[in-house]
Amino acid sequence: MIQRRELLVATAGGATAALAGCTGDDGGENAEILDETLTLTTTTSTYDTGLLDEVNAAFEKRYGVDVEAVAQGTGAALETGRAGDSDVVMVHARSLEDEFTREGYGVNRRDLMFNDFVVVGPEDDPAGIDGMDEVTEAFQAIADAEATFVSRGDNSGTHAKELAIWDEAGVEPGGEWYRETGSGMGEVLNQATQTPAYTLADRGTYLSQRSELDVSIRVEGPIEGGPELLANPYGIVAVNPGVHEDVNYDLAMSYIGFLTSRRGQGIIEEYTVEGEQLFFPEAVSEEPNFQQYVPEEWTSDEG
Amino acid sequence: MMQQWLERETSEALGLRTVSHGFDDTDVLDDVTFSVERGETVAVIGPSGTGKTTLLRLLSLFYPPETGTVEMDGTDVWALSERDRLDVRRRLGMVFQEANLFDATVRRNVGYGRHIRRGWRDRLDHWLSRLGGGDASREVTEALETVGLSEMETQSAGSLSGGEAQRVAFARAIAYDPDFLFLDEPTSDLDPRNTAVLEDAIGTARARGLGVVVATHDMNQAERVADRVAVLVEGRLIEFGPAERVFTEPDDPRARKFIDGELVY
Amino acid sequence: MIETVSATATVADGFTPLLVDFPFERNYVESIIRVSLYVSLTAVLISTLVSLPVAMLVGFSEFPGKGFVVALINTGMGFPSVVVGLVVLFAVSNQGPLGTFDLVFTKEAMIISQFVLATPVITGVSLAAVTSVEEGVRDAAYAMGGTRVDVALVTIKEARYGIVTGVLAGLGRAISEVGSVLIVGGNIAGADGTSVTRTLTTAIQLEARQGRFELALILGAVLLALVLLINAIVLRLGGGRV
Repeated sequence: MIQRRELLVATAGGATAALAGCTGDDGGENAEILDETLTLTTTTSTYDTGLLDEVNAAFEKRYGVDVEAVAQGTGAALETGRAGDSDVVMVHARSLEDEFTREGYGVNRRDLMFNDFVVVGPEDDPAGIDGMDEVTEAFQAIADAEATFVSRGDNSGTHAKELAIWDEAGVEPGGEWYRETGSGMGEVLNQATQTPAYTLADRGTYLSQRSELDVSIRVEGPIEGGPELLANPYGIVAVNPGVHEDVNYDLAMSYIGFLTSRRGQGIIEEYTVEGEQLFFPEAVSEEPNFQQYVPEEWTSDEG
Repeated sequence: MMQQWLERETSEALGLRTVSHGFDDTDVLDDVTFSVERGETVAVIGPSGTGKTTLLRLLSLFYPPETGTVEMDGTDVWALSERDRLDVRRRLGMVFQEANLFDATVRRNVGYGRHIRRGWRDRLDHWLSRLGGGDASREVTEALETVGLSEMETQSAGSLSGGEAQRVAFARAIAYDPDFLFLDEPTSDLDPRNTAVLEDAIGTARARGLGVVVATHDMNQAERVADRVAVLVEGRLIEFGPAERVFTEPDDPRARKFIDGELVY
Repeated sequence: MIETVSATATVADGFTPLLVDFPFERNYVESIIRVSLYVSLTAVLISTLVSLPVAMLVGFSEFPGKGFVVALINTGMGFPSVVVGLVVLFAVSNQGPLGTFDLVFTKEAMIISQFVLATPVITGVSLAAVTSVEEGVRDAAYAMGGTRVDVALVTIKEARYGIVTGVLAGLGRAISEVGSVLIVGGNIAGADGTSVTRTLTTAIQLEARQGRFELALILGAVLLALVLLINAIVLRLGGGRV
């Protein structure tokens, strides 16, 4: 019995794969999906690295559709999803994504990829944090030394991470040395160079601007052996068609499917800036992480 | 006398009947009955501020009189439909004390009356075909000849002298062949030469069959151009009759005083 | 991203004779110029068609609420573009009153918000221009047998230089604002670098946000050149008097 079922599943799977091969790259003349538009809202850091243009170009070619990527920043991207003005959301703020799905606005969340944050600062390292193992200690040292620190101050994913670290370190940042700017990552790095000051940056933006900066990495992120706390995971989630009728749900799911497929993850893996890999795919695995499908502290008791 | 005149068999006449009109609480015109026929020139004289301008504006249908009627051949113009009244208005022309020319060429200014009498489609076609040029038509040229400025068709209005501008204003007012023409102190700012040209033009218009009303404070001008004279003092028409009689034997002593130059204005 | 700054980007074309090494791809710059022009010119055109009658009405007739309209025009001139953007976004959003028209993140929504920004400027300046036309000239048009419409057209013609100034001012406001088009348009450019809702101003904002100020300035120079060109064309057509 079991064997027969397995055979059936295999045949079905094979047939589906064959069909998928048929629709393939040329889109097919009778494909309904041709010329449709997928609206993706995302953070500025995902967009600014140029990764999305690579990935989207491949997806557009495969399905014959247009992806409109709106780089709004984490908060706005989720808000737009809540309003039903976008079809799929890609951000890097797990707690906010969880809120989004808990409230019923998002379905089918997947882990997509990760990179990390680094702490950059001036060459002379006034707070003496170079090479520290724990970023909380580093932040503590910066606060003690009252060394200038520039903050995003804009409720972005990066800002959220920065606040989480201060929180872990038990420090309330404030005073003249702590500058909240409300600007994008690139501008903040510029300010860090000019002042000079410390700041928390995502590795991708740092790498793409490295040649113009006078600050460099003082505390590494987990990709280069640094603390886990500096990990920066990205998630993707479709807007719930149960709440908003008009969202392009099936196309959103195709997009998620593409990005989390071997092919999409391969594009992500091979994307480099200044010769360095920026993003590390984590969607495809023999042992999938179940935690990616539900909000972080969800237990089966919640129902 | 006035009664006789009203009942006479006339050619077409435009006039005011027992009109009173005021601004704020004063009566600018008080129970005025006035008329002008086609083919004659009437001068309205009197001290400044006595309502000559208001009289002309009522005649040219700028606004309705507070009491009384404005009549064209016995028809109350303000009782007509707006369309019919527009047709009456289109038979009238006005020259103001200032030329008030449009910021365009002389040709465009003088051709304006004909231009607005065309239907919209014609206007558009006409404009497209003569982009920038304006109406190089017979009527425009003839009107300009009347005031001796036919060689100035393509000049811009802004480049004209005061006298030339006023002459163009006259040409503009007659180019579309109106039946009545009103002039409000047309030469008070002009030198004698331009004044003479304009007075000649008035004569030409009258000869063509227009009914002309000229408001003026220049007694001699009134004498030169008018067939009949109306004397307006403090809002009342105290004298209205053939020019010669009014000037030599006015009935009203105030009129006599004014004509003799004793009344201050 | 289509720029020369990163090693993985594509090579730039020589785009203008001025800059030997213009750091943007031709298609990219052309498409954002196209979007900027399409949005701002359309908005200003529609705005002018609305502003002129309104200016004539406010200038020459009495009606209840006239004072309110005048106050609205004056306040509207300086209204922050971001706020207008937020209001329009709310209106065209899926959840807003105009949600059924699917306008969010489109050029058409951007036209709406720039229309709101430009109209008070054009109306206000045109109002000043038409009311300063001498009454005698209007009277002359009327005396020659002109209808109300004729007199209105004469007034507009007499005031044409002032009106053009107003239109150019409105265009200036529209084409150089970033707040509203960023919010309602989303600054979208396709993966191949063709702009969907990205304008010169939002492109500048993008570069500045990433700290690439030199590139931002280059785009700024392009925008400035465009505005100067438009002004020059309009003034040339009008005979140069403003």
